[in-house]
Amino acid sequence: MLELDAVTVRFGGLTALSGISFRIAQGEILGLVGPNGAGKTTLFNSISGLVKARGRISFNGREVTSLPLHKRARAGIGRTFQIPQPMHHLTVRENLAVAQVFGAGRYDEKRIDEILAVMELSHKADADAATALALQELKRLEIAKALATEPKLLLLDEVLAGLESNAKRSFMLKLKELHALFGLTIVIVEHDIETISGLCTRAVVLNFGQLIADGTPAEVFNNPAVVESYTGTAHA
Amino acid sequence: MPVTSNASAQAAPAAASQRGRGALIGAGLLALALLPLVAGASPYMLGLLISALILAGLALSWALLGNLGGMVSFGHAAFFGVGAYGSALLAGKLGVPVLLAIPLGGLIATVFSLAMLPALRLSGPYFALAILAYAQIFRILATELDWLTGGAAGLQRYPGLPTVLGFNLADRAGSYVLVLACVVVFALVYMALRRSHVGTALRAIADSEDATRVVGVNATVLKTWMLLLSAFIAGVFGALNAHIIGFLEPDYAFSGIWSVMPIIAAVFGGYRSVLGPIFGAVVIYLFDQVIAKSLIPVGHQILLGIVLAIMVLLAPNGLSGLVARFLPRLAGRGLSNAEKGHA
Amino acid sequence: MTELILQALFSGVLIGSVYALVALGLALAFGAMRIINLAHGELVLLAAYMAYLVESRTGLDPYFAIPLALVVVAAASFVLFLLVDRIKDHRELNSLILTFAIGIILTNAILLVFASDVRTTASPFLQDAVSLGDLFAMRSEIIAFVLSLVLMGALWWWLKSSWYGRAVRAVSSNRGAAKLMGINPTRIETVSFLVAGALASFAGVALYTMSVVQPATGHALTVKAFIITVLAGVGSIPGVFLGAVLLGVTEALTVTLASSALQELAGMVLFLLVLFLMPNGLFGARARRG
Ligand SMILES: Nc1ncnc2c1ncn2[C@@H]1O[C@H](COP(=O)(O)OP(=O)(O)OP(=O)(O)O)[C@@H](O)[C@H]1O
Ligand SMILES: [Mg+2]
Repeated sequence: MLELDAVTVRFGGLTALSGISFRIAQGEILGLVGPNGAGKTTLFNSISGLVKARGRISFNGREVTSLPLHKRARAGIGRTFQIPQPMHHLTVRENLAVAQVFGAGRYDEKRIDEILAVMELSHKADADAATALALQELKRLEIAKALATEPKLLLLDEVLAGLESNAKRSFMLKLKELHALFGLTIVIVEHDIETISGLCTRAVVLNFGQLIADGTPAEVFNNPAVVESYTGTAHA
Repeated sequence: MPVTSNASAQAAPAAASQRGRGALIGAGLLALALLPLVAGASPYMLGLLISALILAGLALSWALLGNLGGMVSFGHAAFFGVGAYGSALLAGKLGVPVLLAIPLGGLIATVFSLAMLPALRLSGPYFALAILAYAQIFRILATELDWLTGGAAGLQRYPGLPTVLGFNLADRAGSYVLVLACVVVFALVYMALRRSHVGTALRAIADSEDATRVVGVNATVLKTWMLLLSAFIAGVFGALNAHIIGFLEPDYAFSGIWSVMPIIAAVFGGYRSVLGPIFGAVVIYLFDQVIAKSLIPVGHQILLGIVLAIMVLLAPNGLSGLVARFLPRLAGRGLSNAEKGHA
Repeated sequence: MTELILQALFSGVLIGSVYALVALGLALAFGAMRIINLAHGELVLLAAYMAYLVESRTGLDPYFAIPLALVVVAAASFVLFLLVDRIKDHRELNSLILTFAIGIILTNAILLVFASDVRTTASPFLQDAVSLGDLFAMRSEIIAFVLSLVLMGALWWWLKSSWYGRAVRAVSSNRGAAKLMGINPTRIETVSFLVAGALASFAGVALYTMSVVQPATGHALTVKAFIITVLAGVGSIPGVFLGAVLLGVTEALTVTLASSALQELAGMVLFLLVLFLMPNGLFGARARRG
């Protein structure tokens, strides 16, 4: 459903992504792994249209490489931000309403309530999103906003980071539930090997902007190049 | 633009405070409607109030662009003048009925504002001054195209407001009611728009552009609509004014006054609210004409400049910002959104 | 016809050099503080009226007003800076409105004190025509041109070699880094506004000797200065000079070939064309896209 062909992104002299090519099949949950600064967020940015990329990105058979941000969202690409970016000065409910009206092209209050319930935000629905939410709630709001646009592809950028292991496990279950419930295809950035292994059937590894491994989580994490990329920059 | 970080003063008002505001609005408008009865005997006062309301409409249009569109205009005279000339020419040369020519004047201003679309890509100050350039260009064009506009000598022979159902709109009371009705209608449109999803999205764009676009909001298109609507409103009030005044010349219709006064009025009243610019316009205009002019016959605008500077420095949310800050406390409603913004 | 055009080009270059002084002041304040001082033209106007004051009261040559203008305008510029510096939220746009308000105050203060009449120098010596080959200019225009070149040279040298100049450049290119280098931005901003005031003083006096001024001139000058910085791109003195000359020449040619009523139109159209078609200015401006 998503096809990347030689995607390259440069920031001035820095090549953040060089010639990334891979495909994601409908319904997959793909882990995107790599050390800090590897280019994971940049890859999400180029897929969602936040940065200009060279190469080719097609989504559901349609080339989207030069499509503006909002059109990609409407086409079904939803994403979260690693550092949550709520729409300021809006309540949680308004955040979802805007996402739904403009991203999905319809307004359905019941569905917003559903999403709020699933993401455990109902109690904060009418609170100011930017000021009244804690970090973990903001991260859930990120997902809720993306869901409200009724995406086919969901890009999750480190949504599990900072959770302790029990919370992480239940959140993983929640993601699987969402995946089934909304018929999603998911790409998730995550540093924790266990999480990737538990959640994904496949993982892709980036290092210094290059794709260095692609396979099942077990294959990927036993790949010497991957191990080296992590130990080389361990705790960077 | 006098923006403060607590723009949430207007964010998501709870139902109760919205009803409160509705009542306030109703009371305010009723008071305005009754003013002429108070001022009844004096046609001079009524004339002043009509001009104040024209300015109120213009300030509303300016504030709509600033608040919803996030754009500061230094050239609203462009729309005002085009609307005035458009309507006067339609009525005077083509015989279009005045009450039809006025909204058409607004439409013509909207069409002219299409020429400003390239400016939408510009950031704050560049947009502000690009619009100023447009206002100057339109003024010069109105002077130069004298076969159409009568040039510097101006236009005089076009019809004034008609009599409708025995009600003479051309006399002062009639004009007053018509202009007031237009202000009310556009204020209601503005309010409805602000509460709509479009308004909510526009509110979000101002501070979280990426986050808003990434959920499917086409910021440029929404801003374009605000520019077109703002131009339409300014054009309608320009047209109304043209038919009330009965003459037009480029230096008057495109005068810098029509760019400057709405800014002062809206900033004074609080451009983030709907009512602020309207009350701001009435207060500022009356202050300027009645008090400032008698104190300083030539150069009385110095006082307006001082008021504007003081407001930007001390109360960038204007009168309505002050009201929003202090009223809830008086009413004992506890923490309002406005205060949360300050926390 | 060729003669007329050459003469227009010549006059355009002469007036353009003074426009350049005005625009450099605007650019300096913008560089230091990232705000557009919409009262800058009024500062220039203030200096012009100081020249009028000195000439009409004492009968001295307007140039003798330069010290007075420097003191008055620098003081006004300093007060302006203090006010702008109080703005903390949304500085870019709030400062735009504040400086706009200060422009209104200055214009009307001048109107109150000096009335709305058009003023210019009464000195026949300054208004005398001098010829350079087939081209003519008033003596005051030549003096203003030379003065402008000298001041631009001085400014260039100051920015390049003095400690303050380098600090100003450091602050305008990267505030954070400048702070780390131990530069106090507030001090640098103050200096920038004072220097902008000084340039405005010279420009105002020069303008009074070679052209006419009235209270509304200030606003027009601000707009011209802004147009020039858009044409030129902020930051380079030669760029600003070329932009200013381009504006001066465009205006002069419009007056010669069309009519003086269209003079302002030409500047505005040039401005919009560059703004829309050349997002980086003629000589590489900073980004101005939203
Ligand atoms: N807008 C930008 N401008 C310049 N450089 C950028 C920009 N965005 C990212 N970079 C650089 O691109 C490289 C990749 O960054 P990216 O954020 O994609 O890494 P990441 O894999 O998401 O890392 P992390 O695990 O820390 O989130 C980094 O060197 C970063 O500094
Ligand atoms: Mg990242």
